[in-house]
Amino acid sequence: MAWTYLDKYPKNLAKSLWIMKPVITVTKLFFKTMVHRPVTVLYPYEKEWVPDNYRGRPGLDFDKCVGCGMCARMCVTQAIKLIEVEDDNGNKVMRPQVNIGRCAFCGYCAEYCPLDAMTVTPEYELAEYTRYDLLYGPRRLKYDKTTEEMKVKLEVTLPSDIANGNPERRVCIFDVDKPELNDAKCIGCKKCAKVCPVNAITMVEKGVNDKGKPIVRPEFDIAKCISCKNCVDDCPKDALQIKEVL
Amino acid sequence: MAAVQYSSILDWINFSNPYDNPFTPFLSDNLPYNIAYGLWEILGGTLAWLINLLFPNNVVSTWLLCDEVCVLMSMLVFMLLIFIVAFVVVLLNLWMERKVLGRVMDRRGTMVGMKGFLQCVADGLKTFMKENTIPSKVDKMTYIWCVSLIVGLSCLVACMVPLSDRWYVVNYDSGLLIIMAFYALAPFFILVSGWAQNNKYSLIGGLRAAELMISYEVPMLIIIATTSLLAGTFNINGIVAAQSEIWFFIPQIIGFIVFFFCAIAECERPPFDIAEAETELVEGWQTEYAGMKWGLIMLGDYLRGSVSCGMVAIMFLGGWTLPFIGGTAAPEIVFLIKAWFVFFLMILVRGAIARVRPDQILNLGWKVFMPLAVINLAIAVLLKIGGVY
Repeated sequence: MAWTYLDKYPKNLAKSLWIMKPVITVTKLFFKTMVHRPVTVLYPYEKEWVPDNYRGRPGLDFDKCVGCGMCARMCVTQAIKLIEVEDDNGNKVMRPQVNIGRCAFCGYCAEYCPLDAMTVTPEYELAEYTRYDLLYGPRRLKYDKTTEEMKVKLEVTLPSDIANGNPERRVCIFDVDKPELNDAKCIGCKKCAKVCPVNAITMVEKGVNDKGKPIVRPEFDIAKCISCKNCVDDCPKDALQIKEVL
Repeated sequence: MAAVQYSSILDWINFSNPYDNPFTPFLSDNLPYNIAYGLWEILGGTLAWLINLLFPNNVVSTWLLCDEVCVLMSMLVFMLLIFIVAFVVVLLNLWMERKVLGRVMDRRGTMVGMKGFLQCVADGLKTFMKENTIPSKVDKMTYIWCVSLIVGLSCLVACMVPLSDRWYVVNYDSGLLIIMAFYALAPFFILVSGWAQNNKYSLIGGLRAAELMISYEVPMLIIIATTSLLAGTFNINGIVAAQSEIWFFIPQIIGFIVFFFCAIAECERPPFDIAEAETELVEGWQTEYAGMKWGLIMLGDYLRGSVSCGMVAIMFLGGWTLPFIGGTAAPEIVFLIKAWFVFFLMILVRGAIARVRPDQILNLGWKVFMPLAVINLAIAVLLKIGGVY
């Protein structure tokens, strides 16, 4: 009889109608999704909203970039390489080239860029037919609709700031980390002045040495300096180092 | 033949009443036949007029419009019309199933052209293009004949369901019985084709189809008997006419629920698709059918699904009549809306409930549906004795 079958389930007859529960749930969901739109999007035709600071492919403002190489140094997958290109005036300049096939879309290049020339873009449809097409040269990295939000900043709070009762976040501490000269080691080779991308270093004569030759020492224009560390890296005697503000 | 002078095309096309024709097979008004007769008068009349322009007073023109040829040709158009309507109804069912299941799963369902309707056409083209392979070890004759019979019976029974009292193929006193008899034939051929395919999945699927049939068929037939007992006839027009005051699902609500689930089992839709069971048995008894054969089997399944819905609408929901109003200007549309509503309920059940096990369907059939059907029959007998019907 029907009762023996229902005995397998709780004695309460209403509970024995468990079979109706999923049907009711499904009906509710059906009418809900008839009124509201379903959660899925018709991808090629309509796209989900992405925020401005979405980590898509990197974008580059060619004229703003000074070719300091900060992005290439910070890139975790070594997708960025500095290559020599001609700018609008025909001069040879160094600009980053991004291999999108290697790019991890972390956005470090945009965060560390001292001039905000490198940005993130909301572009994520980057499929190509060949691997060579994945190389984005400096001109191809251009992105027209760059907004302020795309120039992502590296915001940190320093321990020293917290100790001083000022826990506000600093935007890009690298702006305040400046190079410092160890005078005893310097040999006055002028290499730092050559590699500085913003010409913030001038070589100044400071007296003469025992043999009567002039002693030249670099002097830093702190307002111009972008803390790119090129001088530190290229110094042959390790006379320069970055003084961190911690 | 009397020599008549024909001058204009209107002399050829005169839209005579088809029921004045002595060879017309229908006694009462039949809308598809009227449409077919009118169509043939236009087509055949134009053809006869054109031939007559070239060869005046020829025999062929007269023959094209004589009574016998008119009936023959309009019967051909009539058959096409009946099948195309059943076919389009099935395509709409398929479309509705995809869209409703999509919404039930919080997605959109198919989106290919015309709000997803063209997906059915795309599927048909795709299966048609596929290679028609036949495995070497199958019993070829049984293999081919079974699929032909299953598809053919499904088409036949889908065309036999009347859409209204003026949209029918045959109107006779044992209509309900004949439809149910043809309807119940398909599982036999499923069993045989399961044997014929020489494949363990197909064999298990075929055996499961037989097992499914013995569990739902008896309560289903008892409920059909109950309905015809209340209506006093097996004629479908009679059953619908008996529901002009009160739909049968009110006195036999138990029977309605049981018949609804039996109808789901009859067309082997989830949750009773244990013969197909694609998660356990590959594709069940359809495993070895490739290309358009499989496409036609799916079409046959959905044709039988639409027949199930039509039978529920006829037996319990008042067919093509509306309460308080009775007949309407377009009874076919009323009937189809009811059938689609029943199909919608079937889709909800499909979306909600998991597939039953073979032993559960036996339990359900014999221990739940069977007693409920008998109780339903007892209620109907009491109502009949009490003089309510």
